[in-house]
Amino acid sequence: MTAILELDGLTRAFGGLKAVDNVTTRVDHGELFGLIGPNGAGKTTLFNLISGFTPPSSGEVRFKGEKITGLSAHQIAHKGMSRTFQNLRVFPNMTVFDNISVGALGMLGVGPFSSLFGRSSHAKEISERSWEMLEKVGLADHADDLAANLSYGKRKYLEIARALAMKPDLLILDEPAAGMNDSETTELARFITGLNKEGLTIMLVEHDMGLVMGICERLVVLASGRKIADDVPAVVRQDPGVLAAYLGGDEE
Amino acid sequence: MSKSRLIKTGLVLAAFAVVPAVLVGFDKGYYYQIATLAAIFMLLAASLHLVTGVAGLLQLGHAAFYGVGAYVAAILGADHGVGFTVGLPLAGLSAAAIAFLVALPTMRLMSIYFAVATLAIGQMLYLVFLNWVDLTNGPNGVMLFSGINLFGIEIESDLGIYYVVAAVVAVSILVLNRLSHSYYGNALRSLREDDQCASAMGINVTVMKIQAFVISSFFAGIAGALWAYTTGYISPNDFHFSQSILILTMVVVGGLGSLPGVLIGALLLILLPEALRSVGDIRNIIVGLVMFGSILFLPKGLFGEVSALNFARRLLGANWSNDEGQKGIGWK
Repeated sequence: MTAILELDGLTRAFGGLKAVDNVTTRVDHGELFGLIGPNGAGKTTLFNLISGFTPPSSGEVRFKGEKITGLSAHQIAHKGMSRTFQNLRVFPNMTVFDNISVGALGMLGVGPFSSLFGRSSHAKEISERSWEMLEKVGLADHADDLAANLSYGKRKYLEIARALAMKPDLLILDEPAAGMNDSETTELARFITGLNKEGLTIMLVEHDMGLVMGICERLVVLASGRKIADDVPAVVRQDPGVLAAYLGGDEE
Repeated sequence: MSKSRLIKTGLVLAAFAVVPAVLVGFDKGYYYQIATLAAIFMLLAASLHLVTGVAGLLQLGHAAFYGVGAYVAAILGADHGVGFTVGLPLAGLSAAAIAFLVALPTMRLMSIYFAVATLAIGQMLYLVFLNWVDLTNGPNGVMLFSGINLFGIEIESDLGIYYVVAAVVAVSILVLNRLSHSYYGNALRSLREDDQCASAMGINVTVMKIQAFVISSFFAGIAGALWAYTTGYISPNDFHFSQSILILTMVVVGGLGSLPGVLIGALLLILLPEALRSVGDIRNIIVGLVMFGSILFLPKGLFGEVSALNFARRLLGANWSNDEGQKGIGWK
């Protein structure tokens, strides 16, 4: 197995607080990888460091063997990394189809001149790819609805479809199960596992252990910005440090 | 004939046959002036629509780029003998070039700060028109007697001038129509909705914002040149801040993000004050009330974005259809 994503001593300090403290780990090709930790553990910060939204204070991120620290978010997206957001960020005043098209057009590229001479642009490919993703997440009947009018659960799938329309090599999902009930979470778990079986490398960031423990092959646990465990779920589940971090017991 | 072709033909006939026929019927210079003015403001509103309605950047200095186009056309024509065919594109390009220069440092500013920056740029350019007397003749303005010369043919009749203006405006609006009703438009709309999220989709947010700003200013410059060639006299007050606000009002009243909406908004706000001329100064209050009421009762505009996009997709035929016969989604 070769690594698709490697983090090397990644640190981010906000003032005196180290939100992410010297995290080193790797994600392999084809893996379904989980990153968990209690609230405030630094998961989202770590995620933002990987996807280029926040620059690290020190350390390095390598994607497909290439250093990507210092690149901007859109450049990292073009390398083949796609992400969703914790607090559900669809484009509310655009239709479901148009939302997904943004994922496709960002990668394929659109310019003012190519749009003027329609035939030479990527329009057909963008349309077809958007439609494919729309069907994949089962939103075809809602193609024409404004994203703002979708139910919460459907908007989650819309966000994933938009990320998939980028045809990424690595998909990072930030708390996809937040706000979902048990049956919705089970459905989502099946969907994510299905994507992974198709060969997509997925990194799942969650604070709820349930989903992650069930479907991930390997987990990293963060607490107070530091990596406290990095192993298969069965081992992580028994780790006294992890239990302490989650249950609020004394560490050491 | 398909429905979309019917509508398009109807629009072209309205601009190039019905309106001219009415103008000839009344045969008064005054009506020609109103028709020309309405066409120019439709172009100004359509160009502001791209940057403010679609890309979501609140531009408060649009009239200044309109002014740059007008001054470039007038000064080149009056002092250097440059005619319409060369002066018109040069006016657009000059406005675009100045927009590009000011866009570089301002595009990283967020929402309201960006709006204030454009306000400052607009004021700055206005003061240049007013005070750089050697170049712009200051408050006295610039006279341009050359009129419109199309490849050696002097266009002198009011009707001929109307046709030239209508043709330039129609082509420009066609371009803006294609830009807003395409995946390029979707990319711009994503900036308006959530630019951080758009960058995660691989969109270079800064570059796209600069493009929208420059294209919008280019067409404002074209509108300015049309104004200079048709009126023969321009002065700084034509490009005052209040004009920027007038254009912005057309965009908001018509519908933010809606191209057909802003065209209706422009027509309304040019024609209504003229239609009410007989009632005296109270017309200004009536126009104000119409604007106020339209925002109060139709906050999405006279022709909101959702219906406008549906109109473009279904009735103008800009949609993509998949093999399963799903109609009216995506763009061609």
